[in-house]
Amino acid sequence: MSAYSELIKNFEKIRAYMRDFYVYGFKSRGEYNTKSSRSYDDERRRMESWLGDHMSFVRSKDGKNMFISIDSRVISHNPLYRAWKTKSFTDRDVTLHFILFDILHTPDIALTLSELLTEIDTYLADFDEPLALDESTVRKKLKEYTAEGIIIAEKQGRSVAYRRAGDTFCVKDTDAIHYFSEVLPCGVIGSYILDKQPEHPDRLYFKHHYITSALDSDVLCTLFDAIRRRCFVTLNSFTRYSSDSSVLKLVPLKIYISAQSGRQHLLAYDTRLKYIKAFRIDSLSDVQIEDTCQEYGELRAKLDSLSEHMWGVNCNKSERLSRVDFTVRIDPDEDYIVRRLYREKRIGTVEKLDESHYRFYADVYDTSELIPWIRTFICRITQLSFSDRTTENLFKKDIEAMYKLYSVGGEQS
Amino acid sequence: MIFSELYSAYYNAIAEILTCLIKGEKDEATLRQAVQRHAFSDSVLTVLPSLKSQKWQLVHSDMTTPVRNIPTMPLTDLQRRWLKAVSLDPRVRLFDMDFSSLSDVEPLFTPEDYVVYDAYRDGDPYTDEQYIRNFRTILSAIKEHSTVKFETVNRSGRNISLVMLPKHLEYSQKDDKFRVICAGHRFSNTLNLARIISCRKCYSVKEYFSCEHKRETRTLTLRITDKRNALERTMLHFAHFEKQAERIDDIHYNLHLTYDKEDETELVIRVLGFGPLIEVTSPQSFRNLIIERLEKQKSCGLA
Repeated sequence: MSAYSELIKNFEKIRAYMRDFYVYGFKSRGEYNTKSSRSYDDERRRMESWLGDHMSFVRSKDGKNMFISIDSRVISHNPLYRAWKTKSFTDRDVTLHFILFDILHTPDIALTLSELLTEIDTYLADFDEPLALDESTVRKKLKEYTAEGIIIAEKQGRSVAYRRAGDTFCVKDTDAIHYFSEVLPCGVIGSYILDKQPEHPDRLYFKHHYITSALDSDVLCTLFDAIRRRCFVTLNSFTRYSSDSSVLKLVPLKIYISAQSGRQHLLAYDTRLKYIKAFRIDSLSDVQIEDTCQEYGELRAKLDSLSEHMWGVNCNKSERLSRVDFTVRIDPDEDYIVRRLYREKRIGTVEKLDESHYRFYADVYDTSELIPWIRTFICRITQLSFSDRTTENLFKKDIEAMYKLYSVGGEQS
Repeated sequence: MIFSELYSAYYNAIAEILTCLIKGEKDEATLRQAVQRHAFSDSVLTVLPSLKSQKWQLVHSDMTTPVRNIPTMPLTDLQRRWLKAVSLDPRVRLFDMDFSSLSDVEPLFTPEDYVVYDAYRDGDPYTDEQYIRNFRTILSAIKEHSTVKFETVNRSGRNISLVMLPKHLEYSQKDDKFRVICAGHRFSNTLNLARIISCRKCYSVKEYFSCEHKRETRTLTLRITDKRNALERTMLHFAHFEKQAERIDDIHYNLHLTYDKEDETELVIRVLGFGPLIEVTSPQSFRNLIIERLEKQKSCGLA
């Protein structure tokens, strides 16, 4: 049985726990039944160590429920990024890392493997029991660092010389890196850059800030790489409600991000189903980049064409369009509602009917995606017509249910 | 590889410890602070003992180090590719950054590779020269703790002039807007950056601006009925609030959240968006705001 460590080897295990602790937060220890109790205790202890004050608990009849509670408006840096800075390493890894970069402390120094080995020995000579860093270990580390782009390998006659990569980029403005680390995809990479800068006060804060997507950074990063390279990917797709997962082969086309829920979707061509559909990124894992897709340009153009009728992320298989049409009453002193309609209409059209009525209409693949938005106009909807009658009836039934729920107009629940 | 020890909190802590030792700062408190600054609450139990015991052979028993230069590491390809992606974002012009050294780097992604599909369309004009000038003046004033004279447009469309002490900038991705949060004004502490016509640093008695604007918060309890995936949708939608959830039975949950009073109207419409699947149970004043809207809706005669 290995001893507890706050560092981890595999991120996938903690990803699900952190999401459950942050998004839900009402599960007790006994409900995390897919893993052993010891595993739960270790993961909880790690999160307590990483996130400190953001971890809370309540006692319920089922036991102690741990959860992560963060008011994202008062924190300037996404605390979930800390989880990405916990990769475990061996004693040799860390010793070699600092010695190697000390030997190669400027890009002007280029040494062969045997020269490096001699230098490394002099660093270790004064320790009581010097670590054995043999040729194979050092060669492997150099290869790994060359792949990361921090070491450059150059042919010198029949041997290879190694030097550190030149740092030509200068982080002049930490506010810029901070800002983009919170608002751009894969922002944790910006956070890694900030970690190496001198401490600076926080001058930027964020409202409506969804931080959960940080947990999907690895998946997202590989998907972006595949999109840039126009390649197929194979990946695991799983659901939250069961342990089932399936391996899919997809052509990743674009990432769709919601600023209103923090959800991220991959829009991709499914090679088995033979159409473009949306996949939630928090339900994907183990993304592997495969061969180049020859039809990539056509598929991306197809998605661009579909997007003209997508309210959110859904584009149906049959590509049949439904009309959504509603009218709202807006009083003369309610210009802000008119502005709301225009700024929130996305692919729809807004028309002024008369001094106090505005009409919105759109042809979309999935009417149900508009429902939450249309409900935000409750108190002023005077007319509503969907060609998808089932959804229209459900919408009206829901309003009736709300009247009952709040006992409006004498109706009782 | 995004999950790598190269970016780990431990490596950052060790780099700072070695820097301290190279500078001759060997006292325990300083070294512990280095661990606390970069790593986690349990890390002090591992990092210093591993160095002192020569498990990680970077520090001798007399607390000297064979490392001669302050530890640094070049940017990885992944970091360079992400920075290149930053350079392609239109908002980058707000900042003073030079990306010319990344000319041969492939971006990790471009603005064409992703879309924020539900951000509002009336976002700030990031390429407008006056807007950029205002942004930079304000950011510089925040750094220097300097007061600023703003010429701005108020909510009723009138031009006004204000002297305030900007404390920080706040960005909302949903609104795609920056706001300046200031101290010292009796009526308001927030200015929309896009409404500022011009601004300049000025010198005023800072004591006048010393009072920090306190956020007035309120709490709200929602009862969720978990049908049509409402539980997950609600929890994700309200994830950015300080909150606590509890299960009542197999399909009902209570969600207690804390919100800013100034955002109450926005929260009312966000709650309405969930229809009958979430019910405001307290406070009654918030419940009344929902009832008021439903009563108005009932009078709209929607068949």
